[in-house]
Amino acid sequence: MITKIPDEFCCIDMHNHISQGPDGKLNRSMAQELLDGATRLGIQRIGVSRPSTEETVEPSKFRRMNDRVVEAMEMSERFVGFCFVDPHFPDEAAAEIERCVVRHGMAGIKLYHQFFICDDAQKPIMDKAAELGVPVLMHAGKCTDPATIAAQPRLSHAGHFLEALKKFPATMLIQAHIGGGGDWEWNLRMLEGIDSDHYFIDISGSVIDAGIVRRTIETVGVDRVLFATDMSLEEGVGKLLAARPSHEELMKICSGNWNRIAGRRRV
Amino acid sequence: MFDIHVSTGHWPFRPIPGQSIPELYEYLRGFGISGAAVTNTNGLFYLNTQAANLELAEAIKAYPEFFVAVASLNPAYAAAERDLEFCVEKLGFRALRLTPLYHQYALAEASAVIRLAGELAIPVIVPNEIVNFRQKHWMEPSAPLGLEAVLGLCREFPGVNFIFTEGTAAPDGAYPPNLYFELSRFRSSYGGALTELIRNVGADHVLFGSGAPFKAAESSLLKLFHCDITDEERRLTGGDAARALLYR
Repeated sequence: MITKIPDEFCCIDMHNHISQGPDGKLNRSMAQELLDGATRLGIQRIGVSRPSTEETVEPSKFRRMNDRVVEAMEMSERFVGFCFVDPHFPDEAAAEIERCVVRHGMAGIKLYHQFFICDDAQKPIMDKAAELGVPVLMHAGKCTDPATIAAQPRLSHAGHFLEALKKFPATMLIQAHIGGGGDWEWNLRMLEGIDSDHYFIDISGSVIDAGIVRRTIETVGVDRVLFATDMSLEEGVGKLLAARPSHEELMKICSGNWNRIAGRRRV
Repeated sequence: MFDIHVSTGHWPFRPIPGQSIPELYEYLRGFGISGAAVTNTNGLFYLNTQAANLELAEAIKAYPEFFVAVASLNPAYAAAERDLEFCVEKLGFRALRLTPLYHQYALAEASAVIRLAGELAIPVIVPNEIVNFRQKHWMEPSAPLGLEAVLGLCREFPGVNFIFTEGTAAPDGAYPPNLYFELSRFRSSYGGALTELIRNVGADHVLFGSGAPFKAAESSLLKLFHCDITDEERRLTGGDAARALLYR
């Protein structure tokens, strides 16, 4: 068994996170541990964001959180930034996306469960993403346990993504973590027959049920599958290897599909 | 290597490929694993769990050097203690698995069977959960068991060894000497929780487990491989400690 993803695949983990230290700045030791862990597993670049799970996130707060991502990008070129905003504040969110993507070179937008992805409130975010040609990575899942349902009442699932693709046809959407917890089969059944070139799904999350990645590839097509770990590094690499991907599939999942997304950037 | 965390038998909520004993044998051997403790998933759902144990004994008969049988018992059901004795003394089973959230009993009801496990010198495996609770079928428990429940058992039965599977714990916590951890839910490369746990409780108290066939074995293998431990520690966690625990 191979113990790391070979360098030729230029692997990018496009869904991960950095944290804040007690001094309010980037937790550099954790960031370094993430870099070191990724190196061990053959992950060359790491997409990072710092979202908030709060119901409403004031602009001053999401700007501060994005500043930590900027710090990470300055710390290492291996960090690829994603900008978190709360659509409750459409003008401030659009301005923040502009700041993060145009001025600081972040690669995409990260949304959490403040709204479903198909909610009309997302329109200013989606329009800005389309204008800049960057993707929106959305926290997602189809959880069936009462605690998560109560804690995350606006958790987007595949049905919400299908609706969002119709509502915001010019925007690239990434459904986060098929293995992030929840009924992943439900999500895949919803996605059967999807043919949008603006839809992608990442394989991250701690769930490594046998067959999860192979089923994802077979359902949405290998051109829509992105490698990611969301901090579960061995789980991410392990379940990808367990899918027994061909050389071509591995190339697309590890970097090719992401490079296609990044190639659509307009700024 | 020895895998402490393997199951065979039907899972009613999703097809699980490769769950038969011959398939598991080939699958695990493909990774260089030379032995495994195996439970029968049917034992989670049968009223009379002893039927699942008899099925398991029959299924592994052709692999006496590879599989170690783990009994599934509902302590609140008739003849549980007699069944455990039969499993150990007549069928050669070497561990007991308790799943109170599936069989819906309070752990206090398990006292007699746990005490008997101690007398028979076999460890008690207590899963935190079977599959991730966030994808639960409506017939399944709504939340994991949690480490606290197992710590309570460790305190109440200091002469019995408990193995906590499919769970996590603070790697620097204070734990009783009769508590053993299966490693599949601990992070390794990022943050080093697995390394820290092994340094804290000892490599002989952390056991390699894949979760096959529910889970892909690659992740646990990567966790062990990328762990910053000595070769001796890797041998212990990779299998020697589990064998010592089961073959007392």
